[in-house]
Amino acid sequence: MQVKKPWWQSGGVRIALALVLLILFGGAVSGIYLSQIPPEQPIAFPHKTHVALGAQCTYCHPAAAWGPNAGLPGISKCWGCHQQVQKKSPELEKLAGYVQRNEPIPWVPVAIQPDFVKFNHQPHVQAGIACETCHGPVSQMTVALPQPRQNMGWCLDCHQRMRPNDFVRLSDCATCHY
Amino acid sequence: MAEERPAKWGLVVDLDRCTGCNACIAACSMENNVPFVGEDEVAYGRALYWIRTQRYWEGEYPAVTPTFQPVMCQQCGNAPCEPVCPVYASVHSEEEQINLAVYNRCVGTRYCANNCPYFARVFNWFDYELPEPMRSYLNPDVTVRRRGVMEKCTFCVQRIVRGRQKARAEGRELRDGEIQPACVQACPAEALVFGDLSDPESRVSQLARSQRRYHLLEELGTLPRVTYLKGVGNHGG
Repeated sequence: MQVKKPWWQSGGVRIALALVLLILFGGAVSGIYLSQIPPEQPIAFPHKTHVALGAQCTYCHPAAAWGPNAGLPGISKCWGCHQQVQKKSPELEKLAGYVQRNEPIPWVPVAIQPDFVKFNHQPHVQAGIACETCHGPVSQMTVALPQPRQNMGWCLDCHQRMRPNDFVRLSDCATCHY
Repeated sequence: MAEERPAKWGLVVDLDRCTGCNACIAACSMENNVPFVGEDEVAYGRALYWIRTQRYWEGEYPAVTPTFQPVMCQQCGNAPCEPVCPVYASVHSEEEQINLAVYNRCVGTRYCANNCPYFARVFNWFDYELPEPMRSYLNPDVTVRRRGVMEKCTFCVQRIVRGRQKARAEGRELRDGEIQPACVQACPAEALVFGDLSDPESRVSQLARSQRRYHLLEELGTLPRVTYLKGVGNHGG
């Protein structure tokens, strides 16, 4: 005689449950993966090469010293050096093309914050925070890579660690959200 | 670096000087990306203004005179909006000593607005799309709020933060009157004065000690940061 199985032991329910879990897991994995891959850049700019040659971060991103946004270099900044350098790479031909057409280079910003977060580079640079603290080991990157897990807890953790006496101000909502 | 002390921001509204021109409202809406909702929505009671001018008529016709009273968030020290928020989106800023509306936390229960005795909080009932060239008018320093979020006057906290960061970068203290919210900057009659109430010598402190001072609904014990100076004469009309 066949014993009636409880509903949760039936094959259909188990397969459906497995499918739902698989979809959720797959969605989570692909979501994390897609948010971590660097976006396509117009020119595959090799940070590694430039840092190795001794270029400072603030030479190409100078506004970090005085403004909220560090800025991305335009054709005049790139061409200032590269018109005197032999164009060996196909990427430099792309740059020459932008210069010839007098077009801005459509760089894709990588280190971006949501609209409701108001980040300002200037106080961080003034406090002596190295660029690598937040932007990762840029000296080993070609195109800039997004850094994972840069969320509010990460910001507050650093604020608390670096400036424990100033934490009331640095944990205030209005410091970053307005 | 200059020694920093926490500021206690305050606003003084001199009703003797206010002409009811509504320049403060226009300036506030432009500074803080407050959408213009249109006539129909205002008729439904869904107006979005962070500051409004209350108009009163005094006397009998034909000898009527108008008086005007700009009303914005009073930035209460003991704010009724704060304890009712279930998600801590309406919080008190320890540093700036003002009430904050944290847009990214808000879930739109509207408890805070219902508990505000000054009707200072307004709700985004819809997403108000701007036609294409108008999007360039948006202030990049202020979040564009989406549907279902409560908002209110912030004393232009973006200008406070920016001003303090500028003073720190230059290694000096903030000067009195250096930070001005948009309404104060726009007021042609200088009816609005903004400054640090913890500094007894600042212009706003001196005006707030005036004998004409009063607070809106003082008896509720909300300890507002906005001081009104009562009009004493018969003006306008």
